[in-house]
Amino acid sequence: MKIAVAGKGGAGKTTVSGTVARAFARAGHPVIAVDADVNPMLGISLGLGMDATESLAAVRQDLDHGDGGHEHVATVEAMLERYGADAPDGVRVVVASRVDRPDSGCGCCGITADRLLGELESTGRTVLGDLEAGIGVLARMGAGSLDVVLVVANPTPKSIEVARRAVETAVARDSRVLIVANRVRDDADLDAIRAVLGEHDLVVIPEDPVIARADAEGVAPIDLDAEAPGVRALVALSERLAAQAA
Amino acid sequence: MSSVRLPDTVDLLARARTVHAAIDAADGIAPLWLATAGKGGAGKSVLSGTLARILARRGHQVLAVDSDPMPGMSHSLGVTEPAVPALLAAAEKPEGAPWRLRRGIGPARVVRDFTTPAPDGVRLLQLGKADKDGLAPVMGAFHAFLHVVHRIGDPPSLRRWTIVGDLPAGPRHPGAGISAYARLYVVLVEPTSQSALTARRILRLAREHLGADVLVVASKVADTEGRERLERLLGEAADLEIPADPAVQDAERRGLAVIDAAPDCAAVRAVQRLADVIEARRVRAA
Repeated sequence: MKIAVAGKGGAGKTTVSGTVARAFARAGHPVIAVDADVNPMLGISLGLGMDATESLAAVRQDLDHGDGGHEHVATVEAMLERYGADAPDGVRVVVASRVDRPDSGCGCCGITADRLLGELESTGRTVLGDLEAGIGVLARMGAGSLDVVLVVANPTPKSIEVARRAVETAVARDSRVLIVANRVRDDADLDAIRAVLGEHDLVVIPEDPVIARADAEGVAPIDLDAEAPGVRALVALSERLAAQAA
Repeated sequence: MSSVRLPDTVDLLARARTVHAAIDAADGIAPLWLATAGKGGAGKSVLSGTLARILARRGHQVLAVDSDPMPGMSHSLGVTEPAVPALLAAAEKPEGAPWRLRRGIGPARVVRDFTTPAPDGVRLLQLGKADKDGLAPVMGAFHAFLHVVHRIGDPPSLRRWTIVGDLPAGPRHPGAGISAYARLYVVLVEPTSQSALTARRILRLAREHLGADVLVVASKVADTEGRERLERLLGEAADLEIPADPAVQDAERRGLAVIDAAPDCAAVRAVQRLADVIEARRVRAA
């Protein structure tokens, strides 16, 4: 199964991606996590820590600069093999984009975030892509290349508007859409999200101080407290996705 | 969707420096051209929208430049997002040629006639918002936007405008592209690991790659613990601090500009102090 996570910057895409990936892996599914954000942060939510997350991004950077003896690889699988890293619970993570280019593709080997995510084999394993803020990568993906798009929405008009555009983009590419209503404090928050996105399947992730603290400290929420309400809701989301894939 | 290739980074940088030097030589005072950068959700749009309004109230002629293909800045400025970007009408695409500004329309005319009026006399220049077809439906506005930004220093009348730019989330735009024209980067950072790591990347690019002037602004700082954590995660202290303020959250959830919803709240007062710092720096630059 191939899943992508989209939404406005700061909506919680990376937290959702990292926690769902870890929960999949804990349940015994092989997981490839693709950091398709030009500002790669997925390592933090997966539990690699800030330093390892930064060096993973640096390897991708050096690859394009031709620094550090890193060689280009011809296929996405080889890239995953050689330049990926192992995160806890057996999640394999790879960074797709360079940090400092307006055009995220590598001019030499041509491996862009959308190509990496599109071409990785997803039979017998789950490929989960954490997309950049907005809908750029999603808009460049071909029809049918993603089974599910998780659209993360916070209860603010800006976030809901970006989510609405992401939903349209995913639907136009024949992907199934699941709204992740994140940081929901009360019924009014949920109603605000439902008013615009209510016709789609929706899961609610409650506002949770444990997730805020995990982000503050740079650790995986699932390592800080797997029983926290927000984390449990994300684990339940992974179970729902796994059941639908089976 | 059609793809857009920006000119090479190095050329842009060289062009931006030439524009800056020409203006400085002609007028003797550096125009106030700044851009806000930071992680998604750090508060870039709230800061740039509020700052634009404050500077306008102090007598600046302010052009708010929204280069984010996702919605954001207009809410924080206090204007309704136009369904069709005003800029689209300034563009034309001759048969077999690329998009360009319509004949007889230059950057000064665009700012006057093809921007959206916002409160306090601010004009909003928007690149256009992407939808399911990417930027294809607003491609004319996108190209017109690039034409205007690249020529923003050409008409002497525009050199006196204060420009407040709102960049898309993350480090890549400060790394290259039209943001090279900014003379001051306001880098916004929350006391969280992801926000600090993003700010570190942006600061590295802005200082080493662009050689730009930088102000580090701490955002959503709740207490001493948050302040200390931010300094530890970032590796340096912020120049200025905007406190965590429920009035901002409330305005955001209601889709209002915080300067209209809560003009005396702690966050707006902090942006006023930021405006003081920016104006003082400008005098020094002259």
